[in-house]
Amino acid sequence: MTSSSRFLLGRRSLIAGAASVGLAGTADAQSPQRGGTMVMIVQPEPATLAAYLSVAGNIAPVTTQIYEGLVTYDWSLKPAPKLAKSWEIAPDGLSITFHLQDGVTFHNGAKFTSADVQYAFMQVLKKVHPRAPVVLADLTAVDTPDPLTAVFRLSHPAPYLMMSLSGYDAPILCKSVFENVDPAANPTANKPIGTGPFKFGSWERGQYIRLDRNPNYWQNGLPYLDRIIARFIADSSTRSAALETGEAHYAAFSAVNYSDVARLKANPMLDTTSKGYEMFSGISEIELNEHRPPFDKREVRQAIAYAIDRKFIIDNIQYGFGKPATGPISSTFAASGLYTDDVLRFDVPDRIAIANKLLDDAGLKRGEGGMRFATTLEVNSFGQQWQRQAEYLKQALAVIGIDLTLRSEDTGAWLRRVYTNYDYGMSEPFFSNLSDPVIGVQRQYVTNQIRKGVDFVNNTFYSNPEVDTLFTAGAQEIDPAKRAEIYHKIQKILVTDSPVIWLTEIQYVTVFNRKLHDATTGPLGTYSAFERTWIEH
Amino acid sequence: MRRLAFAGRRLALAVPVLFGVAVLNFFLIHLAPGDPASVMAGEGGSATPEYMDMLRHKFGLDQSLPLQFWHYIVNIVQLDLGYSFRNDETVLSLILDRLWPTLLLMVTAFILSVVCGTLLGLLAGTRRNSPRDGIISVLALLASATPTFWLGLMLIVLFSIRLGWLPTSGLETIGAFNEGWAYVVDVARHLILPALSLAMFYLALYVRVMRASVVEQTRQDYVTTARAKGQSERGIVFGHILRNALLPVVTMAGVQAGNLIGGSVIVEAVFGWPGIGTLAFSALQGRDLNLLLGIFIVSACVVVVLNLMVDLAYGILDPRVEL
Repeated sequence: MTSSSRFLLGRRSLIAGAASVGLAGTADAQSPQRGGTMVMIVQPEPATLAAYLSVAGNIAPVTTQIYEGLVTYDWSLKPAPKLAKSWEIAPDGLSITFHLQDGVTFHNGAKFTSADVQYAFMQVLKKVHPRAPVVLADLTAVDTPDPLTAVFRLSHPAPYLMMSLSGYDAPILCKSVFENVDPAANPTANKPIGTGPFKFGSWERGQYIRLDRNPNYWQNGLPYLDRIIARFIADSSTRSAALETGEAHYAAFSAVNYSDVARLKANPMLDTTSKGYEMFSGISEIELNEHRPPFDKREVRQAIAYAIDRKFIIDNIQYGFGKPATGPISSTFAASGLYTDDVLRFDVPDRIAIANKLLDDAGLKRGEGGMRFATTLEVNSFGQQWQRQAEYLKQALAVIGIDLTLRSEDTGAWLRRVYTNYDYGMSEPFFSNLSDPVIGVQRQYVTNQIRKGVDFVNNTFYSNPEVDTLFTAGAQEIDPAKRAEIYHKIQKILVTDSPVIWLTEIQYVTVFNRKLHDATTGPLGTYSAFERTWIEH
Repeated sequence: MRRLAFAGRRLALAVPVLFGVAVLNFFLIHLAPGDPASVMAGEGGSATPEYMDMLRHKFGLDQSLPLQFWHYIVNIVQLDLGYSFRNDETVLSLILDRLWPTLLLMVTAFILSVVCGTLLGLLAGTRRNSPRDGIISVLALLASATPTFWLGLMLIVLFSIRLGWLPTSGLETIGAFNEGWAYVVDVARHLILPALSLAMFYLALYVRVMRASVVEQTRQDYVTTARAKGQSERGIVFGHILRNALLPVVTMAGVQAGNLIGGSVIVEAVFGWPGIGTLAFSALQGRDLNLLLGIFIVSACVVVVLNLMVDLAYGILDPRVEL
């Protein structure tokens, strides 16, 4: 007995030793310091902290410190242990067995068991999570043979499910807190209780959310920080100023304007990184309403794709951040083999001549002022950058004889016009591919996603039975090679049909204080816990 | 006594005004396209029709507009401002939380602009066409032509980033957990830049109004009389001219009181000041109708009270004014 516990002790110190060697091997030669407060900028202020009800981008940076998932993801985008220490997927793909960590407690003291997993998935997430109808549609039951084993039962193989189980996609909730309460009206919605490294402290509306260190965290010795403050500052210039003065340590996603990044980079106190966004893969696009002629003609859509200089947008509007998009799937999926650039390419030298010829062939002759037809472009309401891109598009399309009128509205009006009233010709949204094409790509191109009143789905009215069949097959194929082949085929067809014009792959930038270490530890970036993050003080 | 009666009458008149504000705003807000369910779903980037129906039912948006209006009016009469579903909190508690920072900012900016504007205007007006007058007038012209948000950003660049004297934003140093005097000093340090930005435009306006008014009063017969009876220049300025010259400034102050809330939206956004302005902005962006209506009504109350105070001040300054 004594020898075995000594062995355990020895192994633990060995692991700790390995961890510090690992840290030394990466950017930081110093060893982590305990304590301190990290101030991160979250923009805009979240409306709620009910991460199981909303996937709004400003909620997760806070809630992923509190709620944990069954797994997390490593830099190769593979699942890694979190609340589940290991798992087996049945050969037929119809069940997944998770072995859970022992000795985990929720912030309210309740012990974490397989019953919590079952309740979270079957009674809350499956019922109210916005992505459940896609991600959890095939999940029929969660069995709990013992307190530390949870078995997922699936009606079809669902290879994407393992890619959607982090604390961001599928937070594990405490059964006793949610039992007998309407999940859409839980009193802990804004005072979340999870198993994570930080506990909810307080929320001063309009100012900040305070998170405190969880002293009983199941990973011994973690987290290093005493406190995390999520601050809200509405003005982007002031956000940059707060980083420059050291009042804030960390700002992710688009909290800092591209136009400020170069200046902040030159500040010896600050550093930047583009890592930590590998599971979002945003692509900026133009949606074309096929119910508005002449967008029902493929030649017209292709002509628009040819007319746009993606490199120009990146160099002049995105301050050099980003890369040209080749199709519906981001090049970040090259890692899993799902991406291909072997598609119809629009970045050819004689692209303007081709575009003009396509429009001529479509019977759209140049009329007064050299214009062939006029339409509106609904300007994205999420920031200045999109207004500038719209202005560029107006000029670029005028070259091939398309007269654009730009219309700028606020978010509510824009979404209503484009996804409910379909009262638009062209719109310039951006879509995230997320962790798998089933979750982030499919929604925009399949026929059953033409759903009036639902935002960010198929509003172009593109409908192609072949594409529908391929997407269904891709969602259920567990052999990686065969799956890749299916998605390559989809990319080829979609790019040729061009229901959407793909512009650029968005590159986000995190700006952080050099005193802050290990703030970006995986592909989920700011949507994962800062348990290993530490601050020099 | 007459003053009390006047105040009472004005307050009674405020009731139909506030009711009108409530009715007008209710329909104006419903004219705007988009609803909170759509915005909430849009923020998430994906949602099902069932999910959106659930939200709309929860928010009461599946009821007819007249019915929604009836519920709203019944609640207002009972002084119940309703519930913000977006924030999962009652409208009243959201507003009360955010009212005092805005009032603090408004009152500080108001006092700053009236006191400094009056003094500088007096200094300029009593030495017409002197270098002192020239400098003050040119500065006032510049200040009144400077956009508030730009001024705010430039103050941050100078005092926070370059000099490092004052914090960039917020109401207090977060994580410092100051108490007592330390807290008061901390908030005051955070208040300086936003209050200055908000005050500057009206400060400049008061300088110009006050200067013109002082110049005009100086030409009046009573000044000549006072000078003839041998009163000192200082005595003439503070005993006679000041009080008379103040009246146009007070009129202007009444206008400013109403505009301060609007101006504070911009200043609060620039300085991350947790007040009514930023709350209103996020409510508008999120189409949080209940919250927005609540903010309108509370701001209308504040404006009514401020205007009443200005009118009463008018009567005190000039007893000839009939209330």
